[in-house]
Amino acid sequence: MTVNDGIDVVRNWILSRHPERARIGPDEDLVRTRLVDSLSFVELVYVIENATGAEIDFDTIDLKDFQSLSAIQRAFFTTA
Amino acid sequence: MRGHPGVNDSRDRFQHVLDRLSTKAVDDYYNPYRLLEWPDSLPDDMWWMSPELTTTHGTAVAAGLSEAQLRALSKYESLNFYSLNVHGIRDLLIEVTRRIHTSGYEEPSRFFHHFIGEENEHMWFFAEFCLRYGGRIYRQQPAGERAAPQRKETESLLVFVRILVFEELVDHFNSLMARDTRLHDTVRAINRIHHQDESRHIAFGRELVGLLFEDVRRTADEGELDAVAAYVRRYMTYSFESLYNPRVYRDAGLDDPLGVRRKLLDSPERAELERSVFHRTRTYLERTGLLR
Repeated sequence: MTVNDGIDVVRNWILSRHPERARIGPDEDLVRTRLVDSLSFVELVYVIENATGAEIDFDTIDLKDFQSLSAIQRAFFTTA
Repeated sequence: MRGHPGVNDSRDRFQHVLDRLSTKAVDDYYNPYRLLEWPDSLPDDMWWMSPELTTTHGTAVAAGLSEAQLRALSKYESLNFYSLNVHGIRDLLIEVTRRIHTSGYEEPSRFFHHFIGEENEHMWFFAEFCLRYGGRIYRQQPAGERAAPQRKETESLLVFVRILVFEELVDHFNSLMARDTRLHDTVRAINRIHHQDESRHIAFGRELVGLLFEDVRRTADEGELDAVAAYVRRYMTYSFESLYNPRVYRDAGLDDPLGVRRKLLDSPERAELERSVFHRTRTYLERTGLLR
């Protein structure tokens, strides 16, 4: 899975839960716009894990890494 | 949780229940560190939890697996279930400890001591089981902010509703597995002991939630009560879905673990299991008016 494929999977997952939305801006705040809330957050983590193949430790999560699609891309889909 | 005119009957009843449950907690007191027996290992090929309680039971996913695979899956599902207990208990201990002997909690504080002591012991034996036989405790999303900011009364109500929903969820499994003769004695024992204590905690939780809801209902408008009901409904679904952990399916060797979770969550068997697990809880919450 390429870097772009990975973030596309995340974007598509969010859009599938919000049929009223056609697109999500890369810097749009996912929490403030309620695209992701505390009860759907765990599913978002699983979606990212599935796309990257690496387990995310809930105990060391930094919420800033999940604030927007661009933040998710930087934290989980950018190769060094 | 302050007194208000017209609710003396409820408060008398609460006091009576607290007395009864505190006495029973003293009478039933046990030492879990001595009571439980821990074999060095448990057979990998046994049923680790009742097959009917596993998330794949009766589903198309299960139809594609051998009995050996289903038994292996039951091991990881049981570890996930006990891990949920560990994390749920830690969250509720934080919330109860935050409130014990503070203003408004003068009455229940005496029972809180039993509650905190017993819950700490439950957390110990569930963690011991996971670490001894599985080598890990599955991590879970921390409690964090699970509801939009609320006024103090509503926040406390939602805290104790969350605790009650969690306790009723796990007790459904505990009570059935405690009686399941297909399961190993050690598995049955931890479920039996937990069920014995949780029965008291649930009775207490229902009384406390009832009183807290009376306080909220007296001062809330219809919009706030609708929002509370919607949140509780979502929280019940969220709790139930935590049983469907893709990390479990991965560890059991299933392909596409997230796809398995999605298939299972969308299956008719899931709806039936959720209905059966929360039958009593839903009836109680509807009777109080919390679910509308």
